[in-house]
Amino acid sequence: MAGLRDIRRRIAAIRSTAKITQAMKLVAAAKLRRAQEAVIAARPYAVNLKTLMAHLLERVEEDRLPIWLRQDTGNGVLVVVVSADRGLCGAFNTNVIREAERLITDKFSEWHEAGKVRVMTIGKRAYMYFVKRDYELYGKHIGIVNNPNPAVARDIVEEIVSGYRAGTFDRVEIVYNEFKSVIQQNLKVDTLLPIPTDVDPVIEILKRKRKTAVNYIYEPSEQGVLDVLIPKHLRFRMYHVLLESNAAEQGARMTAMDAATENAHELIETLQLEYNSARQASITKELLEIVSGAEALKEGAGA
Amino acid sequence: MGKPFVLRIMTPASVAYDGKALSVTCPGSEGRFQVLFNHAPLLATLDIGRIDVETEDGGNIVFATGGGIAHVLWNEVVILADSAERPEQIDCARAQAALDRARRRLDHPTRDVDVERARAAMHRALNRLKLAGG
Repeated sequence: MAGLRDIRRRIAAIRSTAKITQAMKLVAAAKLRRAQEAVIAARPYAVNLKTLMAHLLERVEEDRLPIWLRQDTGNGVLVVVVSADRGLCGAFNTNVIREAERLITDKFSEWHEAGKVRVMTIGKRAYMYFVKRDYELYGKHIGIVNNPNPAVARDIVEEIVSGYRAGTFDRVEIVYNEFKSVIQQNLKVDTLLPIPTDVDPVIEILKRKRKTAVNYIYEPSEQGVLDVLIPKHLRFRMYHVLLESNAAEQGARMTAMDAATENAHELIETLQLEYNSARQASITKELLEIVSGAEALKEGAGA
Repeated sequence: MGKPFVLRIMTPASVAYDGKALSVTCPGSEGRFQVLFNHAPLLATLDIGRIDVETEDGGNIVFATGGGIAHVLWNEVVILADSAERPEQIDCARAQAALDRARRRLDHPTRDVDVERARAAMHRALNRLKLAGG
């Protein structure tokens, strides 16, 4: 059995760890609230932008969007992985990295073997993973995931679009965690480019309701509007991904730290019991020694 | 007096206006234009400038915008703006700092300075300062 002092030391160490994890949990909870508010604040814009895109995509001739909608020409794929900068958030990073790797080795295995898969890492964890392995990196963004803003999203999208325009790749997939609830993150794989033309159910319904064709006035021109709208759409998609991932990360960290704190308390409880019984044992032993010592003395005196 | 229509002005970070309006005047990239009740379906790109809203009770609301897209369809006007702030919401110190930074970049362009972007940043800052001041 461990010595009394060792147990006391362990209890103290675990107690201070519990304090740290508790503090991290509270910090994550505060950050989560802000992140959630940002996700909610972006929703109306998201819905309206999506509706507008759908309006346009069903109306505009495909040849007006040669670049954005073009089909795979076999140039390759860019996989964008959005992770966190730091760990201590459960399986958050592992999940997204594993999903990205699965995507590359399963769905894009042919491209991968031909060396046509590139990886863009957002967040330090993804970078640290992919840089050490046999992947061709296309840009990295570190230190931005906990402060998502439109300007950052714009930089990322510009980098992606320049590679897409240059034909370095003709397909862009984003792998990220979507915020479902505090304790749940959804892994998502979204196609950023070419812009998916299969519209989602909400828009399907909308389309059916509005059968009548509308003749829009375009200012400055149909092409001009598209040239503005499409980059906006891409930037916003990226911004939205960053918001979701950040909220998911804070949720994951909060849950992980909560579990850690709970485990620490459990450990302390067990150790405390062990400590008590060790202390009791040593007292008993001491008593025995005293008693037997006294007995021995008595016997010595009697003889 | 004109009839009211539905107007929504939103940015990626917030909904700046959601309600009825009698008219809205936007800084279109081809020049300012006004939307009234029963306007024809329109899709227009917006420049940096000011959006003027005439509310149902006859009041006027001004927004500084960094550009965007206006969508008019069946008396529903949706403006998707990069930014939309009321003059009293404008952070003048921040706008001034942005202006100084953009000017510095334009005066001494290095290889990694994106001149187009610096110019746009300068225009946005000037627009904010102008509207916040008046």
